[in-house]
Amino acid sequence: MKHKICFTINCEVKEIEVEPNKTLLKMLREDLDLIGVKEGCGAGECGACTVLVDNKPINSCLMLAVEVDGKEILTIEGLSDGINLDSIQESFLKHNAIQCGYCTPGMVMSAKALLNRNPHPTEEDVKEALAGNLCRCTGYKRIVDAVLDAAKKGGGK
Amino acid sequence: MRKFEYLKPDSIKETISILSQYGGKAQILNGGTDLIVGIRDKIIQPEYVVDIKAIPQFNKIIYSEQDGLHIGATVTLNEISDSKVVQRNYPILAEACKTVGSYQVRNRATLVGNICNASPAADTAPPLLVLEAKVNIIGPTGEKIVPINEFFTGVKKNILKKGEIVTSITIPPIKDKWTGVYLKQGRRKDVDLATVGVAVVCMRDEIRIALGAVAPTPIRAFKTEELLKGKIINESLLEKAGESVLTEVLPISDIRSSKEYREEIIKVLVKRAILQVKKGGGVVYEAQNMFYHKL
Repeated sequence: MKHKICFTINCEVKEIEVEPNKTLLKMLREDLDLIGVKEGCGAGECGACTVLVDNKPINSCLMLAVEVDGKEILTIEGLSDGINLDSIQESFLKHNAIQCGYCTPGMVMSAKALLNRNPHPTEEDVKEALAGNLCRCTGYKRIVDAVLDAAKKGGGK
Repeated sequence: MRKFEYLKPDSIKETISILSQYGGKAQILNGGTDLIVGIRDKIIQPEYVVDIKAIPQFNKIIYSEQDGLHIGATVTLNEISDSKVVQRNYPILAEACKTVGSYQVRNRATLVGNICNASPAADTAPPLLVLEAKVNIIGPTGEKIVPINEFFTGVKKNILKKGEIVTSITIPPIKDKWTGVYLKQGRRKDVDLATVGVAVVCMRDEIRIALGAVAPTPIRAFKTEELLKGKIINESLLEKAGESVLTEVLPISDIRSSKEYREEIIKVLVKRAILQVKKGGGVVYEAQNMFYHKL
């Protein structure tokens, strides 16, 4: 049986019907065409599917779509205002913190959540916050630098 | 993913009635970090998934000096490690919660879920064992309180019967000054299951020891505790304690470690944890994880 759910996605209210066995990740990609969110492991190990639900980073592969009823979701598509990139995105570009790019949306969303809750993180804080985001091109150094630099420039708003 | 019905009761009564009606066909959905992977991998095949996050009394952390700490079923690991009352009164638990999975996982995973999943390697189990936590259960026949030590019955098995649900975990108050530590050995610093986990608390002349990932269930090392009781800790006693713990565990070889390596690590961690809690003194807690690779 499909369930009717209502939620806010990137500042827009949406009402859709979903099957209970659909994950949030699948709903974002298949029903809402938000393909910035990626599936890596599908088991909560890699963090490529990280989005913010009620301001907290979660693995969207481990959440059912029906569970977001009444909640607020932010994905990588919601960071830029259409003209300007978010300061974390700018910082990733500046530091070349991207190789293949598959992990990047998840990395950026984890970093966004970190700077929201802790605008002045230490290097250790950044590493802890990003520990659930794997990069198989092994580009961690530049990613950590990018997040610290974004923080310095007030990336946490 | 296989099809199932999704139910979201908003009372305990309704939850028990659903669980009693559907029995093994129903699975509780709490944080979902174990359940959804299980369904995806076809290890768990529920016809009904019962989301308990709408039950109002489940999302609370309550503390009083008299009754101790009360953690509701749907409280997440991050809510526990961020909680000031937990940090102040049971820092060993706040720290152990932080060693589970990733930050994203800890935003969803719960303490009660970690315990009900009953993995031998559950990071929250050894601290709860040494703190002598109580598991509050409700079911068709009423409420009961089970000591955490009796809750685990085997690998991924617990004492819960049809229709029963864990409503909360209570950690009794500790009147004396005490120190505690949870040492986790993993293959990497974060996002790994414990190869061996050791929790030790020290109060007056009593030392309590619990271990994870060394037997079919997380365990208390009662014999070794008895050996140490009231004694002055020195090198030879620590040596004996390490050997004694080995007679209480049943480690296996698996993907994370060989049996022999586990045995060595158990001895090392137990000795190290005892030394740390003895040095700690007072209620000052020293957070220390034993990890190797850094990100």
